[in-house]
Amino acid sequence: MAAESVIEVKDLVRVYKSSAGLLGKKKKETLAIDHISFSVGRGELFGLLGPNGAGKTTTIKVLTTLLLPTSGEAKVLGYDVSKQSLEVRKRIGLILGGERGLYYRITGRQNLRYFADLYGVPMSIRDKRIKEVLEQVGLEDRADERVEDYSRGMKQRLHIAKGLVHDPELIFMDEPTIGLDPQAARDTRNMIRDLKAKGKTILLTTHYMFEADELCDRVGVIAKGRIVALDTPRGLKSLIKDTSVIEVEAFGITDVELEAMRALPGVKAVSAVMSEEKQIMRLQVSDPGEMLAKVAGSLPGLNIIGVKVKEPTLEDAYLWLVEGHA
Amino acid sequence: MPRLRATYASFKHQALIFFAEPQWLIPNIIAPFVLTLVALLLFKDADGPVVLYAVLGGGMMGMWGNTLYSSGFSIQSERWWGTLESVFAAPCNLIWIIAGRALWNSLIGVVNGLLVFVFAELMFQAPVHLQDAGLFVLAFTLTLLSLACLGLVFSSAFVLTRSASVLTNGLEYPIYVGTGSMFPIALLPYWTGPLSLSLGPTWGIDAVRYAALGSTPYSFTQGYWGDLAFMGMLSLVYLAIAVVLFRQVDLVARRDANLGRF
Repeated sequence: MAAESVIEVKDLVRVYKSSAGLLGKKKKETLAIDHISFSVGRGELFGLLGPNGAGKTTTIKVLTTLLLPTSGEAKVLGYDVSKQSLEVRKRIGLILGGERGLYYRITGRQNLRYFADLYGVPMSIRDKRIKEVLEQVGLEDRADERVEDYSRGMKQRLHIAKGLVHDPELIFMDEPTIGLDPQAARDTRNMIRDLKAKGKTILLTTHYMFEADELCDRVGVIAKGRIVALDTPRGLKSLIKDTSVIEVEAFGITDVELEAMRALPGVKAVSAVMSEEKQIMRLQVSDPGEMLAKVAGSLPGLNIIGVKVKEPTLEDAYLWLVEGHA
Repeated sequence: MPRLRATYASFKHQALIFFAEPQWLIPNIIAPFVLTLVALLLFKDADGPVVLYAVLGGGMMGMWGNTLYSSGFSIQSERWWGTLESVFAAPCNLIWIIAGRALWNSLIGVVNGLLVFVFAELMFQAPVHLQDAGLFVLAFTLTLLSLACLGLVFSSAFVLTRSASVLTNGLEYPIYVGTGSMFPIALLPYWTGPLSLSLGPTWGIDAVRYAALGSTPYSFTQGYWGDLAFMGMLSLVYLAIAVVLFRQVDLVARRDANLGRF
């Protein structure tokens, strides 16, 4: 990577300790991040992909100084996240998704004014800057309403405005589109693109493969606290270039059929989109010609709407990786 | 300057939240009023100084109740809202942010204390004539700052615990009694002396009473300025303790990852 590194992570480990039982005698340790290493270049849009509990949010919290690492080293913009936390915090923006994290009883503008003050935005430009970010996220018309009256999408946009109000050079986004309707999610992705076009460095976590595929320059796939692959979306897809995907669209697919497919010799990974109306099952196979007949034969009595053979997507590569093939 | 700005911004922010959340009136205004009302009813037939003693005590209880409730509940609310993590992530040590809030909470306490005076005058025709109004205002203001310092010490515990309201409830009455707000600490068992005297507001309340009543049989012997000196020293000690505790808070919060939990 030619660009200057703005995030450098070496052998980072984070263990959560908890206790339970009478007098907290039952001690438990959970390894959330297990010796991960990566770097992010200036101006890059870097994605962290992984299932729930994989360690994505923990990684972001360590890098944004909210958590101390158990061991290893992490530097953000040249500053050590453990020892120089205030220097890191001045220069980064943190955008956490979800319903919480905002003051509901005051207006959006008042929320932004408070955080602008905490981040030391010069008073001479504070209100102008707030106006700019409100315009950027499309909230200028509702800025003087209480946040409790905002929709979920508007709250998310305010989260983004809050993370940008001090014009940080490096932005961390934790699942910025989670829970948004398709339109709001698309608007958020467009905002992220705009930020990258302005030269910002962005590290985002997401569950959505198409989002990572569409937005990210590079993607780190994280599973059980370890980075199992790190490459461009195209590079990751090429990991399964010898693989094709059989997509079966049908009525009545249940967990029984999914397990049957997983047990079928020649099937590398199985995923499914289950809705009440119909189900779509995706099977990763090496030889689709040979496997088509076997798959059809293993699904007796199922009302099949259609079967297609497709090129693998980033989601297929991701599934292949997190199922332990890396 | 950025630190003072964070303190000032937090002071203003706490005011906004206070006015936007009407239910805060209950612990901040109504509850101390009820306490004072009880004290006034108890002493309404007594001679002047005793009534004034009760009124001052009521005002002081109001100030302490405000400091404690507001500090505890503001942090508990931050946990519920999920904003404690965002505030913690700001490039400013938490103590400067909490200090702004503690100052607002104490200011509301002063307003509460003054309201108690007006209430006593209007409803009970209590003889609230002050011996030296200037010294009274000075002692009142410095006691407010001392309360804010004490509130800051407790706030560090509120940040770390998920049950700030339990701590708040537990600390309310011991301080009312221990500082001599309710009745003179000379009436308490001798072993409570060191505890009472280690609380800055105990000295502040004595100074307030000196300014209002002159010397009484229960006054401390070092007089008005001696009271203020002791309170000042204790307040500086509170500040030093708060600085150390907030450093610890920073470390423990980042180690245990408990700021986002509620």
